[in-house]
Amino acid sequence: MDWKKFFIAFVAAFGFLFLFGFVWYGMLMHGAHQEVPTLLRAKPDFPWLILGHIVMAFFFTMLCVRFVPAGGPGGCAMLGIVVALIYAGADLIAFAVQPLTTKILCGWIVGDLIQFAIAGAIIGAIYKSSSPATRYVPNS
Amino acid sequence: MFQIHETIYYRVHSRLRLHVRLGWLLNGVLLKDVYAETPNLWRSQSEMMSLFHWIIIGQALLIFAFVAIYASGFAGGGVMAGVRLGVLLEVAAIGMRLAIYAIQPFPGKLIIYGSASGLIEMIIVGAIVGAIYKPPAVRAS
Repeated sequence: MDWKKFFIAFVAAFGFLFLFGFVWYGMLMHGAHQEVPTLLRAKPDFPWLILGHIVMAFFFTMLCVRFVPAGGPGGCAMLGIVVALIYAGADLIAFAVQPLTTKILCGWIVGDLIQFAIAGAIIGAIYKSSSPATRYVPNS
Repeated sequence: MFQIHETIYYRVHSRLRLHVRLGWLLNGVLLKDVYAETPNLWRSQSEMMSLFHWIIIGQALLIFAFVAIYASGFAGGGVMAGVRLGVLLEVAAIGMRLAIYAIQPFPGKLIIYGSASGLIEMIIVGAIVGAIYKPPAVRAS
């Protein structure tokens, strides 16, 4: 693994995930979130928000590097979309147990798909290996 | 073609059943008291039951995506590769949980218990997928 490229890709992914989250969930969906004020804190707890995004970006970058060792925006963007489906599944479960509106549910799912597809593409574009494309096959 | 569909259906279905059962055991039984501390954050029992199909659809989507990632990038590594994938995805999910904790007033206990149980669940599920799923080349030999 090229740790220098990995670190740059991780920092870029973190920056994008945080910025996108702020614009999409914090600004564009602000009105929708105000429909359920009891479900939200009055003010976000920023240290936890930053730590959460660091963890998410680090392990998503790790997954991209393992899944598409040769890098490339296309493969990593595809992985990002599939990872977003996992979060979309969690969103559907949250909708069933929390009093969220369908507008919030749709916003979260669309946000996840865009966010992880672009983050994957960024990671793939930065983490490009000079070796020919190979798939990750552990223990082989 | 039918056999391939049947095999995929069996894999996803058997994992889904396990995932729903584990989810029910963790959230419906073990963490029940923790949820009871914050009733305003949750739908009523009857509402949840009327929306139960969304839990099944959500679980199915989650499982489908997990198996898709395993089959296209991690297959061939067996149980350990499944466990590794489960850990990677769950730790990333813990990051998401921390971000949600920052904006929603969940008790910290719920995040800790939920993350620990989620990790155990994904390790077991990853091991099962790794043990069941064999790539075509391995199956042929």
